[in-house]
Amino acid sequence: MNTRVAAIAVLVAFLAGMVFATFSELRVFLPALLRGALITIEVAALSFLLMTASAFTAGVARLSPWWSVRWIATAYVEVFRGTSLLVQLFWFFFVLPEFGLTLSPMAAGVLGVGFNFGAYGAEIVRGAITAVPRGQWEAAAALNLPVFRRMTRIVLPQALVVVIPPFGNLTIEMVKATSVVSAVTLVDITYASVQQNQLHYRTVEIFVVTLFLYYCFSQLIRFSMGLLEERSKRHLAATR
Amino acid sequence: MTEPRIKFENVCKRYGPLTVLDGLNMEVAAGELVTIIGPSGSGKTTVLRVLMTLETIEEGLITIDGEPFNKMRSREGGLVPASTAHLRRIRARIGMVFQNFNLFPHMTALGNCIEAPIHSLGLSKAEAVGRAEELLDMVGLSDKRDHYPSQLSGGQQQRVAIARALAMRPEILLFDEPTSALDPEMVDEVLQVIRQLATEHSYTMLLVTHQMGFAREVSGRVCFFDGGKFLEEGPPREFFASPRHERTRQFLNKVLAAH
Ligand SMILES: Nc1ncnc2c1ncn2[C@@H]1O[C@H](COP(=O)(O)OP(=O)(O)O)[C@@H](O)[C@H]1O
Ligand SMILES: [Mg+2]
Repeated sequence: MNTRVAAIAVLVAFLAGMVFATFSELRVFLPALLRGALITIEVAALSFLLMTASAFTAGVARLSPWWSVRWIATAYVEVFRGTSLLVQLFWFFFVLPEFGLTLSPMAAGVLGVGFNFGAYGAEIVRGAITAVPRGQWEAAAALNLPVFRRMTRIVLPQALVVVIPPFGNLTIEMVKATSVVSAVTLVDITYASVQQNQLHYRTVEIFVVTLFLYYCFSQLIRFSMGLLEERSKRHLAATR
Repeated sequence: MTEPRIKFENVCKRYGPLTVLDGLNMEVAAGELVTIIGPSGSGKTTVLRVLMTLETIEEGLITIDGEPFNKMRSREGGLVPASTAHLRRIRARIGMVFQNFNLFPHMTALGNCIEAPIHSLGLSKAEAVGRAEELLDMVGLSDKRDHYPSQLSGGQQQRVAIARALAMRPEILLFDEPTSALDPEMVDEVLQVIRQLATEHSYTMLLVTHQMGFAREVSGRVCFFDGGKFLEEGPPREFFASPRHERTRQFLNKVLAAH
């Protein structure tokens, strides 16, 4: 944690120095980069919602007693993990219109990133559910709780403790991977910095700022996931 | 003649090549407390789990008050596999206490006791809390209602588990070695609760235990389980004084020597 604080401090100092040295240039390219950052945040936030929803849906569905539900969930996970994210984006943006479904760049970007990372998340969720002791299911069944309640009230809350840390890492990977949306014409941070570099040739400054922004996003996620983790396992520690 | 509360007819349960219940027959009358004893791994837990519908059976019929349990009567009168609704209706009459308590670790003692009454019986929260507080009081844990399982001793956890089972108002109670996972000094507090249930209430109880003294004291009948069925059974006094089978004698000698 301390090294991370130190790293941030060094970066801030470096940036401050650069602000001083190249103040006029920064003023020229920074607004464009921040507009890009807003797009990245938008893609990441929406993708996070989609990724979480599909991870839990598919993770639970892979353990369904009905083979057809299991099969659909497995097919989803296999397809989205087994092929390239960039190509998946192209499918949403360039191929679907061939079948009469035209998506905005934002929609295509979010669907691609959200479903792709949701497929990895599904495996995390499935593993966590399987790790909940069998006795918990059985106690819930013996108390005659309906199957849906067993899952939502008894098993998922316990699985969540196991899900959160790897899910935090996956979310950081996801945010960094949002840079692929530049391929479907969205001007996110990455695309904005490429454009600004072509206009102003302040290569070092521009890409330092870009790195710094991604790093801040990652730290923010790590910090919030840490809080969530603390909260979720407050009472569980001693019984495991 | 009245129907027995619980009846196993020729029940078979297999795990792959392993036959755990081998044509098991058993009748338990309403209000009776039957203790099941037998060697480890012989299938005592399986008897209870089958009755709790945590396991399906390959052959045979289980009835509760004459009503088929694992199967149900079709409109034509024949027997067909039970539907989920049928299972849930009959399962509501049975409560189980596990060897490892299986309390829900993310809920307080009170939370554990109101979860199923609210979400399965549809009681209001106030009603469920009232009922749960009474039961926690009965097992001597009213001051622990807001404690999480991780903050309770083994004996306290098992008593909460008993209160949790009772909160569903079952008629039949199944105890699977309720004191086996406990430190010796906590065994008595749990046995005391079971004793109270046996003497002051009219539950039908099946108890699997290695506590022979307790079995002799509370049960109306003791059954020795071995090789997939009941080898012999009888009132506790006769059963312990003069077991008929050599296997039973060997088992009793071994268990009593260990204590
Ligand atoms: N899920 C299972 N799969 C395979 N074998 C099992 C399973 N559950 C229990 N058994 C086997 O069934 C036998 C009876 O188990 P159990 O009813 O737990 O015995 P007991 O309670 O008398 O010690 C044991 O040999 C055990 O290994
Ligand atoms: Mg057992």
